[in-house]
Amino acid sequence: MTELILQAIYSGLLQGGSYALIALGLAVVFGTMKVINLAHGELVLLAAYVAYAVESAFEVSPIVAIPVALLVVCVSAVLVYFLVDRIQKDRELNSLILTYGIGVMLTNAVLLIWKADIRSTKSAWLQDAVVIGPFYSMRSELGFFVLSLVLMGLLWWWLSKSWYGRAVRAVASNRDAAKLMGINPRTTEIVSFVVAGILAAFAGVALYSYGVIQPPLGHALTVKAFIITVLAGVGSIPGVLAGALLLGVVEALTVTLLSSALQEIAGMGLFLLVLFLMPNGLFGTVARRG
Amino acid sequence: MKNIRNHLAAIIVAGTAFGVVPAHAEEFLVGSEVPLTGTLARVGTGMKEGIEVAADVFNRRNGKHKVKIVTVDDESSPAKAVAAVEKLASQGVVALTGGYGSNNIGPASDAANKANLVYMTSGGVDENLSQRGYKTFFRINNTAGYSTAMVGLLADMGAKSVSIVTSTKEAPADLAKDVEKILKAKGIKVVVHSFDPAITDFKPIINKVKLQDKSEIIAMVGYENDYVGIIRAAKVLKPEVKAMVGVWSLATAKMASDFPDLMPNVYGTALLPYPAEFKTAEGKEFAETYKKLFNKEPDYLGQFGYVQSMLLFEAIARAADAGTLKTGGLPAELRKSDKETLIGRVKFDDKGDNPFFSHRMGQHQSGKVAVVWPKDSATGKMNFPAVPW
Repeated sequence: MTELILQAIYSGLLQGGSYALIALGLAVVFGTMKVINLAHGELVLLAAYVAYAVESAFEVSPIVAIPVALLVVCVSAVLVYFLVDRIQKDRELNSLILTYGIGVMLTNAVLLIWKADIRSTKSAWLQDAVVIGPFYSMRSELGFFVLSLVLMGLLWWWLSKSWYGRAVRAVASNRDAAKLMGINPRTTEIVSFVVAGILAAFAGVALYSYGVIQPPLGHALTVKAFIITVLAGVGSIPGVLAGALLLGVVEALTVTLLSSALQEIAGMGLFLLVLFLMPNGLFGTVARRG
Repeated sequence: MKNIRNHLAAIIVAGTAFGVVPAHAEEFLVGSEVPLTGTLARVGTGMKEGIEVAADVFNRRNGKHKVKIVTVDDESSPAKAVAAVEKLASQGVVALTGGYGSNNIGPASDAANKANLVYMTSGGVDENLSQRGYKTFFRINNTAGYSTAMVGLLADMGAKSVSIVTSTKEAPADLAKDVEKILKAKGIKVVVHSFDPAITDFKPIINKVKLQDKSEIIAMVGYENDYVGIIRAAKVLKPEVKAMVGVWSLATAKMASDFPDLMPNVYGTALLPYPAEFKTAEGKEFAETYKKLFNKEPDYLGQFGYVQSMLLFEAIARAADAGTLKTGGLPAELRKSDKETLIGRVKFDDKGDNPFFSHRMGQHQSGKVAVVWPKDSATGKMNFPAVPW
């Protein structure tokens, strides 16, 4: 039993790393603009299909596709921003409808271009088993888990140390005060969409490297990312990581100790429990009244 | 000249009165409600291709009547499936062919029944679909055909213990329940692991099979993405099993070409070997037309779509000839069908089910698929024990 539980925790952590990478982009945009980008999952999916296209066209590892995915997804993310930016009234609410629509369009574009077949990498190297003591995983899972930790570290550093990162935090905290300090909120918002695009590109290539992709997947990714963002507490990078890892581990332990049919219910149960006990999420700050 | 015209008119009037003159050649609109987007887009598209091939072959072969397919995408959603059927009914279709997923087929065939339209499918194997007593519902395949094939193969392997890893979706869950029941009745130890369709990491399940169940066989009941996830997890954890056995969408040309490293020695239901060998004239015509229209090898989805549609078109033609098509005679005409088709014998019972449906099992061998069960249809010898790793 110990062996089972240890493997479940390990698998859950790896899965959580993948969730974190997907959720971070959503969290960054939500933190800056209070816009829930419901097309974020589709951007991740787009990156995954770019990886597929590059791999099948040039017979190279999907990792080689990262620069192409970065370019395609960042441009797409900026286009999403320009559409969201055109909303004059009730941006928080109307952007939900707009980004949902963009998500549907992206899904159908993927369907038209790449058809409905399931896709996954053919690289045997990425799928080879890595065994560390009692822990088993695919090489791609472990590699991208490490990469997601590095990316999160870089993001945390960028947000806390760089000028643009601090500008993003300032806009997220108080848009008008940030303006008075000479920060252009529009540029900052574009930057946050680009950062979300970068994270989505890595997440998509990772997803293609160890998972199976198909056009309807994007919506499910957005939902998962949204759950983690709320679970974490809005605007918290360590919170996203902790929330994602916790979700991954709870899901894996549910499969091991209870039933695999209950995995998704367990995730939602955790989400509701955390919101019930800590309405601001695991790492969220209590909103100031008055 | 006038006399000749009068004679001709008299012959036609008399012939019509006594019913000896065939009905006019007509073009019939046939509705096709299939998922072309959403989660079932892949299988829906496959079925649609088969329907189009059937229409092409029928229109060429039947010199008198023609069919025209009107397709509406049900977006893999039950509500949209109902709307699609209602839309097609309002466009004047004489019958419907298509439907994928029991949860979509159920309400869609309800709507078809209300509109008194025949609903012909091969996309849902839920037992309840044929238990509703609809005289307009017809299906060429069913759960029993799949479970017979899977259990038959497992029996030939001499399996003593089986771990069934099954999706909680309706059709796989029903099939897994059937297989479990039959295997247990045979005294075989069975452990069932149901999984949510949203699951992507199967390692915790396969680890339970490896460390707790210690079964000889892993039986997978799900869909393509599930199989890939399960086999990948098994390749990483390497449980000591003797075979990986699945059902639909697994022993196919597509899986062989898309996942060459995962498929070796994996079993799944297969009507035909790959590369496909069509021995009958109809099979050859189907394959040629399929390649002509879609520039690829036919697959099992196309085959099912073709068979269901061809049976429907032929019954429509017969009913039109008998003059009963517009008076609700199509269901009765379909029940008269008894034909050897590309999927075997098809004859509908009073519930619209095909009790003669029985599948075959294939195994991926060196990039090809060999039919290995039943023995009288086998095109290759079973590699056993053998796993993909």
